[in-house]
Amino acid sequence: MTTGSVDLLVVDDGAALRGYDCRDVVRVEEVAGEPGGFLVRLGRLGSPREFGCREVLGSVTLSAREIRPIPEALRERITGEQPWAVGLTGREIYLLY
Amino acid sequence: MFEVIGMMSPGGFSPLQEVREELLREASIEAGASGREKGRRDSGPARSLLVFFLGAEGFAVDLAHVRKVLRPARIARVSGTSPEVLGLMNCQGEVLCVLDLRRILSPGKETSPAAESEGKFIVVVQHGGKEAGFLVDAVRDVTELASSSLHPVLDSIDPSRGRLFEGTVSYGGQFVGLLSPSACLNP
Repeated sequence: MTTGSVDLLVVDDGAALRGYDCRDVVRVEEVAGEPGGFLVRLGRLGSPREFGCREVLGSVTLSAREIRPIPEALRERITGEQPWAVGLTGREIYLLY
Repeated sequence: MFEVIGMMSPGGFSPLQEVREELLREASIEAGASGREKGRRDSGPARSLLVFFLGAEGFAVDLAHVRKVLRPARIARVSGTSPEVLGLMNCQGEVLCVLDLRRILSPGKETSPAAESEGKFIVVVQHGGKEAGFLVDAVRDVTELASSSLHPVLDSIDPSRGRLFEGTVSYGGQFVGLLSPSACLNP
């Protein structure tokens, strides 16, 4: 029986939907002078980092059954930050960072 | 500006990595319980080829490495990837990485995934524990390959492209390139 789940802050980075573990989010700031620009500050659970995104869409809870490993063929072709998993619901696909 | 307050577990914060690994472990158990684990395919002694086209150019891939052929559904883009990655697709509850075969064969050419996947096919190829879907224009046929009909890759082909092929085969009066699944799956 699945008991695990993760609460994600969902953002649109302009190309894809990203999910960040809500427990790791320190703060979300609107970037002054840049309409639609947000800065997500992370680091409650790990080392501090920040990420700029176009839009903050809200939050979603994914159960373990909605989480998949990153396909190897994709992992090898990601040039930037590596997501740790893919969230797959009936409606959306999220990259989890 | 707003602030998201972190959640505290009874024993304090769990290390992020530990939580993620636990979720992936559970996800893996779920996949097994649902029968989504893929069976290993026995390639068998005969060599059957799936023939498909990119524009007017024909290609083939050993059917032993083809898991399925699909019509594209919605492909979710992924940022920060190499150009041949079209994105991820929900393939009956599995996450499929969809690659632009045209761009793998001819690096540098621009394609637009949303518009150009319409009316096409995705050939899902497995090899060496890796799997990806290759977007192709048309799937034509399954044909048997006689061992004598596999020819070496032409010397005139650029070596960087030539490495993607096992050889060439005759199909319907023309030569088609027999793709190397390993080379196409590995960047």
